[in-house]
Amino acid sequence: MNISKNDKIKLAQRIAWISAGFAVIMAFLLIANFVQTNLNKPIDNKTIPALVKRLSQSPADEALKAEIRAFDLMARKAYFTSQWQLRTGSYLMFLGVIISILAVRYVLSAKSKLNEIDSIEKINELDKLVAQKWVIYVGSGLIILALISGFLSSNSLKEYMVNENIVVQEEQSAEIAAPVFQEQITAPADSSAPAGNTTITDNPVSTDVPATIATETPSAPVGFPTLAQLKANYPFFRGAEGIGIAAQKNTPTDWNGSDGKNVIWKVKVPKSGYSSPIIWGNQLFVTGADAQARMVYCYDKNSGKLLWEAAADNIQGSPSSMPKVTADTGLAAPTMATDGRSVFAIFATGDVIALDMSGKRLWSRNLGVPDNHYGHGSSLIVYKDKLLIQYDTNRSGKLMALATQTGSTVWETVRSSKISWSSPILVNTGSRMEVILTTNPNVNGYNPDTGEELWNIACLSGEVGPSAGYADGMVFAANEYAKLVGIKIDGGTPEIAWEADEFLPEVSSPLAVNGLVFIATTYGVFACIDAKTGEKLWHQEYGDAFYSSPVYADGKVYITDMSGKTHIVKATKEYQLISTPELGDKAVCSPVFQDGRVYLRGMNQLFCLGTK
Amino acid sequence: MIRQLKYYFLLISVLLYSSIQTMASDAKQRFPKPEFDTGYLQPDTTAPSARFLLLEYLDVFVLLAVLTVVTWFVLKKRSRQGVFWTSVFSLLYFGFYREGCICSIGSIQNVVLGIVDPTYAIPLTALLFFLLPLIFSLFFGRTFCAGACPLGAIQDIVAIRPIELPKWIQKVLGLIPYLYLGLAVLYVATKSEFIICRYDPFVGLFRFEAPFHMLILGILFLLVGVFVARPYCRFFCPYGVLLGWMSKFSSNHMTITPAACIQCKLCANSCPFGAIDEPVAETGKRRSNVKRLMTYFVILPLWIGIGGFAGSMMHVPLSRFNQTVYLAEQIIEHPEVKNDAKNIDVRTFMSSGKTTEQLVMEADAIRDQFYIGGWLLGGFMGLVIGTSLISLSTFRKREDWEPNKTNCLSCARCMDYCPVKKE
Repeated sequence: MNISKNDKIKLAQRIAWISAGFAVIMAFLLIANFVQTNLNKPIDNKTIPALVKRLSQSPADEALKAEIRAFDLMARKAYFTSQWQLRTGSYLMFLGVIISILAVRYVLSAKSKLNEIDSIEKINELDKLVAQKWVIYVGSGLIILALISGFLSSNSLKEYMVNENIVVQEEQSAEIAAPVFQEQITAPADSSAPAGNTTITDNPVSTDVPATIATETPSAPVGFPTLAQLKANYPFFRGAEGIGIAAQKNTPTDWNGSDGKNVIWKVKVPKSGYSSPIIWGNQLFVTGADAQARMVYCYDKNSGKLLWEAAADNIQGSPSSMPKVTADTGLAAPTMATDGRSVFAIFATGDVIALDMSGKRLWSRNLGVPDNHYGHGSSLIVYKDKLLIQYDTNRSGKLMALATQTGSTVWETVRSSKISWSSPILVNTGSRMEVILTTNPNVNGYNPDTGEELWNIACLSGEVGPSAGYADGMVFAANEYAKLVGIKIDGGTPEIAWEADEFLPEVSSPLAVNGLVFIATTYGVFACIDAKTGEKLWHQEYGDAFYSSPVYADGKVYITDMSGKTHIVKATKEYQLISTPELGDKAVCSPVFQDGRVYLRGMNQLFCLGTK
Repeated sequence: MIRQLKYYFLLISVLLYSSIQTMASDAKQRFPKPEFDTGYLQPDTTAPSARFLLLEYLDVFVLLAVLTVVTWFVLKKRSRQGVFWTSVFSLLYFGFYREGCICSIGSIQNVVLGIVDPTYAIPLTALLFFLLPLIFSLFFGRTFCAGACPLGAIQDIVAIRPIELPKWIQKVLGLIPYLYLGLAVLYVATKSEFIICRYDPFVGLFRFEAPFHMLILGILFLLVGVFVARPYCRFFCPYGVLLGWMSKFSSNHMTITPAACIQCKLCANSCPFGAIDEPVAETGKRRSNVKRLMTYFVILPLWIGIGGFAGSMMHVPLSRFNQTVYLAEQIIEHPEVKNDAKNIDVRTFMSSGKTTEQLVMEADAIRDQFYIGGWLLGGFMGLVIGTSLISLSTFRKREDWEPNKTNCLSCARCMDYCPVKKE
């Protein structure tokens, strides 16, 4: 059978059309598949996480497990089927395109041996002149575009570095201003200085930066509060020793902030802040701040009535503009401290203020604006007549002790550490008192009387936010992307007893109690570790992140997640959930316990919870 | 003979391609691991082992063989058909089988990295892939573009209805490859990115897998390529710049006619790349031509200086393509990203134990490198613009239709048009 050239051309044309049509259809199907897969991504199936969340509440539900497995399998099948379809479709479309192109090329070559291009009229000299003109236009345009783009783009790296310098200048100006300021206050301070002040002045390790002492003389110390007094109140962040253990009984387990169930009172704190409340007697204290003012608020703990408020203003060396802080740290993140006679507060500006229990200012000073890219976060703690401040910044790290009576520096220990956001804890190891700090890379123990470093162990890394936990001669320190370590400090030279890295906190501090260590993570897992071995005993995925730190009270552990749910579990080796009351407000602060009640600061309101 | 060879190539290529694709079609695991303890042990994640050394040398051997064959087809056989089917083979081997890697175009980056980073030892194969086409170009013209480059081949196949572009468009778009080359060198020299590989529009087609935007870009290039022949080769390819420089000095470059030109003008409209120079006699006033040329020579340093300054001004936006700079700026401007569990770059940084200050210092040092690089890149582009103007103002008398050695891709199309037979 002879096939003519025309027949061959016709056949090739049909093949070209059919294969091109096939390729177009495949292209449409591929696009449809792509769009459908992106709209309903099997990988991001919402059902499975919801079911897993349900499973966390009833871990033994086998039927639920089977249901999750079935959904999981279905999602996997959908994903891989979609992948197969995309791949196979691509092959088929490619085949169609290739056949179509070959057929077209055959037709063209069969019709004419030479395939001339669609030409244009050319005049060599004129074309060259036009081309020169366009090269100049485009070249100039490129340069102008580059210049404009360069002028418009801001170098945030340089700005960051410049900001560093501004901070340096501010600190220098505060230091330079100090002598002048000293002259201003010398006379009244000398003339009416209490005995305590005289003692401090004679202290050989006192340093040169005095505080602004109010003309009103503070009450003279009449002994320091005992541990029992501290425990009877709630004077510091995470309780009497700063380790998350409340000595309160009959703590409530059921409330609901939304419908008012067991809400004794709730108030809106005028200015926002992430500092947790502290309590002494019938008074409850919190701080709040914004660009306009830094405030201390005192509430009646029984009624929620605002008793007084005091501004931390007119402080020598305080910056005129607020340092740059992130929204999740703010200007008032550190929790206050009290010794029962005075209350102390610190803000992200570096301003420290001491007030008496009626809100009268005793002294204030600025420590130098902390060079801190999130905002200062370390809370205060009081030891005897010393206010201890962990002041780790990007420039340097130091632990300071200010005289509670005057604010002057009693001692100051420079730390070879990086910036941190953790807070000091104060523990009795059996043989001595130690203030223990965590940072990158060290966990350190200091003598709170002198500031002498007693020991240090390099075991952490990253930006350390969690403070240390302590129980039975062991310190527990952790940080996300680093590890959790158990450090034995009661047997001579401190040493790491064990390390673990399965669950690590980013902000929340470890709680050690009953031979257990509790860890709350920012990815919503709450874990219980054996304090002696570091082995995980159980963990629960609650879903919402934890910024708040766990607190032990009356045999129970309270941990509040960012959604405002407080998960109350028994402090035992087996997971036993007691209840999950809701605050009805987001929360990052830690719960505070007093007189059978829980005080919890939400993002918008301060709650007193318990039976009326 | 050619017809037989054509079918032979096609058959071998199709068989080779289909068998290789079957082998390479194993699924990739991208689905998250199951959350249950099912007793199933997940195998450890392993990195794919390096390509067997012998196979790497095989790639070099194939490149050498293809270059030899295509040069033979161009210079000795003067066969467009031979060149075309050799390029189809290269497309199947270097494109679809080797999935666009290893590639001479991308090897520029390996060579630059080898120069700037003393800790990087450039693989011999990458060096040979860089050098061999340049050596062939230096002696025989851009035969690599004609038959060995898979990117050129895929565009050549779809060039069905090519149109001729005005000279000014060709000249303006012809600046882009120089800019691309400069940027590629800058990003490698600052150890930021292999942009030639990342933005290769065809590698996604070769692998049947690409980010959606790159797939669209590749398809767009092919659609444009139906009418504007080989748009990537002519207006983007950074390696083409180097090949053009080499080819300009080639002593055995292809000619349109095998013997003396008979001035029949049949080849005038044969080149879809605008790479045939017509016969010219000097026109216009000689004095004004010389004056213009002298002006361009005088302002050449000005182009370089202003270009350098403009390039240095661009160092901030240019440096944002560097991962470290981008990460530092992201953390400074949006500190909340530190809590983003899905941001793998931030997670990696956080786990490194470095402080933000350290990161910013590193990023700032890299940005300083971009400042110097910006001066050099801008100066280079100023030089390119200035010399383009000079070349457009120079006059060289030409009596025959000749291939432009810099731009000619040695595809051999024009040869089919020439009625002159070899003597």
